[in-house]
This record gives sequence, C-alpha cells and structure tokens, in this order.
Amino acid sequence: MNRGRVKAGGWVSAVVTLALGLSLAACSAAGPASIVGQQTLRIGVKADQPGLGQRLPGGRFAGFDVDVARYVAARLGVRPDHITFVPVTSATREAVLENGSVDMVIATYSITPERETKVTFGGPYYVAHQDTMVRADDTAIRSVHDLKGKRLCAVTGSNSWKRVTQELNITATLTPAASYSECVAMLLDRKVDAISTDDLILAGYAARSSTAVRIVNAPFSYERYGIGIRKGDLSGCEAVNKAVSQMYLDGTAAALLQKWFGRTRLQLDTHVPQFEGCG
Amino acid sequence: MLVTATSREPRRWRPAGRFGRLGLQTTPGRIRALAAVAVLVIAGFYLVASIAVGNARDGLRVIGHDAGPQVLATGDLYFALGDLDSQVASILLTGRESSPGARQQQLRRYSQDRAVANRAALQAAELSAGDPADQAAVRSILDGLGQYERLASRAMVLDEQAHHPAGPPPANVIAVYRQATDLMTLELLPPAYNLTLEGGATVREAYTAKRSAVSSGRLWVALAGLVVIAALAALQFFVAARFRRRLNFALAVATLGLIVLTVSAVRLLSGEAAHLQAAKTSGFDSILTMSRARAISNSLHADERRFLLDPGRADTYSLAYLDKSQTVLYVASADLSEYYTALGASMKAYRANPQAVRFLGFYGDEARAHPGPAVSAALSRFQQFQADDQRIRQLAEAGHDRQAVMLLTGRTAGSPGYDFDRYDQAVVSLIGQHRATFDQAIRAGDRELGRSVLGNWAALLPLAALGAAVLIVAGVWARLAEYR
Repeated sequence: MNRGRVKAGGWVSAVVTLALGLSLAACSAAGPASIVGQQTLRIGVKADQPGLGQRLPGGRFAGFDVDVARYVAARLGVRPDHITFVPVTSATREAVLENGSVDMVIATYSITPERETKVTFGGPYYVAHQDTMVRADDTAIRSVHDLKGKRLCAVTGSNSWKRVTQELNITATLTPAASYSECVAMLLDRKVDAISTDDLILAGYAARSSTAVRIVNAPFSYERYGIGIRKGDLSGCEAVNKAVSQMYLDGTAAALLQKWFGRTRLQLDTHVPQFEGCG
Repeated sequence: MLVTATSREPRRWRPAGRFGRLGLQTTPGRIRALAAVAVLVIAGFYLVASIAVGNARDGLRVIGHDAGPQVLATGDLYFALGDLDSQVASILLTGRESSPGARQQQLRRYSQDRAVANRAALQAAELSAGDPADQAAVRSILDGLGQYERLASRAMVLDEQAHHPAGPPPANVIAVYRQATDLMTLELLPPAYNLTLEGGATVREAYTAKRSAVSSGRLWVALAGLVVIAALAALQFFVAARFRRRLNFALAVATLGLIVLTVSAVRLLSGEAAHLQAAKTSGFDSILTMSRARAISNSLHADERRFLLDPGRADTYSLAYLDKSQTVLYVASADLSEYYTALGASMKAYRANPQAVRFLGFYGDEARAHPGPAVSAALSRFQQFQADDQRIRQLAEAGHDRQAVMLLTGRTAGSPGYDFDRYDQAVVSLIGQHRATFDQAIRAGDRELGRSVLGNWAALLPLAALGAAVLIVAGVWARLAEYR
C-alpha cells in the first residue's frame, strides 16, 4: 500500500471536486432554461387571424406576427428551418408557455399587468389601438360608448371585451366566441352587433370583407403587443428587446407593416415602441 | 505532485533514467527543478490572481462608471421629457384662471425640465460614445425635442389667445397639443426609456458574470496560494535537509510574503464581491425600479390632466391610467374603482404587517427587497394620490368638470397637486437612499482595489510575483554555488 499515492489521489479528487463545484455553480446561476442559445424554437402564433397569423392551406403560417417571429428567431441565432410554428388561441397563450409546449408566443398578445404575473414579455414590438367594427349598414355606432345595450362579441381569453364592459363600464351584452374569425361570421349573421378589438386585427378582416363591414375609427386604448416567454427568462427577454430594436433600426419593421397593412387606412407607427422592461 | 515524487527521492541507487537526463539524480539538479517548479506555480498564482482582480475591476467599471451612470442619466432624461408634457397639459388646462404667480411657476418648471432634458441628453450622448445605435437614439431624441418645443409653444400661444376658463381649451388648441403629446409619447419617450432598460440589462449581465467570476476567482486564488506555499515549503525542507541548515532566509521571506499576499488577495476578492453585490442589489436595482416608478407615476399625474384636457380621448387616458397604476403597484382589479378598493385593502394589510406585501409591480419588488420607513412613506403617499384621483374622477363623472379641474390644478396644502408633490418627494428620497448605498459600495470597491501595501493591486501583483521569484533564485543560488 502506497500511502503517498493515496494522499495524492485524495488531493486530486479534492481539486476536481472543487473545479466541478465551481463550474456547476456557474451553470445553476443561469436560472431556468432560456430561449438564448437554443438551436430550435417552437413559436406560438395565431392560425386564424388574417394579416397577423394565419395557417395557409398548405400548412404554412403567414402574417405580420409570423414575420416578426422569423426575424426575432434569426436574431437569436435560430435557422429558419429550425422554427416550428404552433397554433395558439387567445385562451391558451399563458398555458402553453407555462407548460413548456412552446418557447415563445407572438400572437397579438397584449401586455397587461395581470398577464405579467404569469409570463415575461419582451417588446412590445407594436402598439395597436382598440377600435370597433360593425356591419357596413350600421351607422348608429360611432364610438365605443354607443355599444351600450348592443350585443358585443367576447372572445375567450381576450382582453378586449373586458376593456369595454369592465374598464370603461359600458353595459353591452356579451356573446361568447372562440376566436375573432367566429366573431366576424357572427357579425355578418347578425348574431352580434359589434366586435371591439385591436385595429390590426380588425384591419385584417376588413381587408377580406371590406364592403360588408366598417371600422368605426374611434381608437381608445394602447394595446402593446408583447413577445411572451417563460416567466423569469431575463436574458431571453433582453435578447428579444435587442432584436426588436434592431428590427426598427434596420427598417424591417416599417417594411413588414407596409407589407401586411399598407393597403388599409390604418395609421402605421414605424417608431420603436417603449419596451416594458424585463425585470 | 512533483513535490511528492521528488521528496521520496533519497533512494540514491535508482538508475539514471528519465529523471537522470534532466539531472534529477544530483542534488543541484533537484534544487534547480524544485526552484523551477516554485517559480512556475508563482507564475500560475499571478495569472489566477490577476484574472480575478481584473474581473472585479471590470465589474466595478461597468456597474459604477459606465452602464450604471448611463442608466441614471437616461432615467433623468425620461423623467424630464415626461414632465415637460405634463406641465404643458397643466398650463393648457388652467387657461386664464391661473394666478400670475401660478402661471410663472408652471412656466419656470417647464423651462427647468427643458434644461434638465437637454443636459441629460448630452450626458447620455457622451456615455453612449462608441455605440452607434445608442447614439442614433440620443440624436433622434434631441431632434424631436426641438420639434416638440415648437408645437408646445404654439399650443400655449393659441391657448393664451383663446383666454378660456379652466377646463378643456378650444379644439384648435387641443389639435396642436395632440400633435405635441403624440410626438412625445411615440418618438421621444420610448427611445429614452429603452436606453435606460438597455443600460439596466448591461449592468445585470456584467454583474451576473463578474460577481460569480470574482467569487470563484477567490477560491482559485486560495488554491493557487496553497500550491505556491506548498512548493516553497518543499523547497525549504529539501534545502534544509540537504545542507543541514535550519532556515533559508530568502525562501522564508518569499513564503511569508506569499502567505500574506494570498490572504489579502482572498480578502480583497471577498470584499469586492460584497461591494458588487451591495451596489447591484441594494443600490442599482432599486434605483432602476424606483426611477421607473417615479417616471410612470408622473405620467399618471399627467394622464389625469390630459383626461380633463381632451374629452375626445378621455377613454384612452383612463385606460392608460389604470394600466400604468397597475405597473407601479399591482393589485388584481378589473377597473379603476376596483383598483382603488383593492389598493386600500392591501395597504391596510401592509400597514398592519409590513411583511405582508400583497401587491406586485414596482412597489411590490421594492417593499419585498428593502422594507423600511422610506418605502412605507412612499406607499402611503401613493395611496393618498390615488384617493385624490378617485375624488377628481367622481366629480368629472357627475358632470362637475369645472370643480374637477380646479381641484386638480390647485397647489395649496391638501390639494391633489400638493399631495402629488409630497408623494414625488418621498420617492425621490427613497431613490436618494439607494443612490447613497450604490455610491458608497462603488467607492469602497474602487478604494480597496487601489489600496494595498504597494499601491494599486494591478501593480502589486506582478511586483510581488517577480519579487518572490527573485528571492527563490537568490535563496538557492548560494547553495548551488557550493557545488561549483
């Protein structure tokens, strides 16, 4: 038995343990899995929102949100063929982030203090304004206050109808729906009298059935479209903000807004929005 | 381990092999080898220690002298810009009914804000030298500021000509003010705020990387110091045994010096890690949080004014008011009246037990991280500000617009304007406390890095390593000379 060697061995293992301990400590300091440094990304987008996020017959996704998602993913170092788009609805956006089935949600997702308790938001990448859409022959509704006593479409998980009936205390009758596409169908079928939501969403539908519907053009809120990521992913949030800044700086944002909404009468804002802040 | 191998050396009969070729079978060869090992491990110690000290210096530079001050400068810029627009709204809302003194005061504050904004923008420009994107942002703010001032002046001139009673000015004034406030909200405030956030991100990144590098550097320095001391001790014992002398003076001095150096380097790094932590978590984080809270609170006050000033956009300003209030202090609530109630309940619980922080938002973070009288004072004045807001909105809703305007624009004791100023003072003094902690920690970190037996640590480390190497050579030189 060679005692010297045993001692030396103990010394080596102590050093190795220390080194491992140090490197492990360095890893655990990074916190929960971040979207930074990922090779692939699953991004939640809307599948039925014309102009923003829509699944085309071939299965591809297209829209302003989808293009923003591609740009941000590229800035995060993810190759285009390594992005998987996952359809989400207004009602599922928090859940899919919390259970980890998507890494990022870019789906007309307004930043609200309540949602911020569950999700970390990068951006906003655009500030939309809530407005109201009615049937083209309806001239009685000129502002959101005229919705009093009317039937308003309420999409589950969306914040828009709450702005009208709760925050502005306007007593409209709520008719539930699963999506804004359903709302438009109900509006045309005269099952509801109005849809109140973000001007970008309304513009997408108005472009499709422009003679049948009318946008009231009385905006009344700031809807800050955020990029939802898992709660607490600070470095991911900071990286997303850098990407959004860059998107406005290099003219991509202006080009994308023009591409998707240039033909509508919407006033497009091509200045970088005020970020929410990550911490 | 070379040390253990050579210390089992006395078996002289071992045939000359690999060690033989290096001259290790002779005493002078072994002394030379041991001395070389000692010098090498000293070089290693020097490397490890200077990396760790360099990390501490980098951390202090970014947090204390670079991104940190940029965050403070752009925070001031954001506040001054927001306040500029708020003062314009106040002037337009008061109309002809302001006393000459009050008008003077409003105009004085307007020019003060303009001066602060210009100064802060220039400072931000200086600090952003080298970052083209940041410079572009500062430039666009300065350009926009000129344009804003022209619009604001025009609105104020038209307003004076209209000679209207307190309340909403005529449509032509509102139209110009809308242009001004939209320019401010869409083009001036966002880049200023984003610069602040970006500086905050840089500080967080530097802190995460440098603080853990300094703490682990401390362990590596301790380890390297132990190896150096062991190597020197081995050399000392070998020489003592071979030459039957009690002590090699030069080696003993080198050993003692390195013990002192290791201990003080470890102490320095512990201190630096603590200073970095204090500067970041007790200073910087709260300064950033509370500066944002202050700026957004100020824009809440401005939204009250705009709500009464521009009835066509009253809904927008009310909704924005609720969103911003919840950003500053979040309690679950669907509308403003629920917010007032929930705020009252959670403040009552908080006063009964300051550990029971049942709210989120900026104040939630601050009250949890740094409970104490300063944050409690700011909170109770925030509550008063919200209670005043409720009174103003109730008057407006009941159709008493004029009374609402008079209440809001008053500045006498107990009026909403007075309460808001008192609230703002409480926030400023809270920020001041954290600022003092921050400055103190950065100063202490700088001082300790610059203060050692031989002055600056950056100078001390190479000198000490070189000195130790010289002492080793000197210590073995005389012994080796006996063989010549």
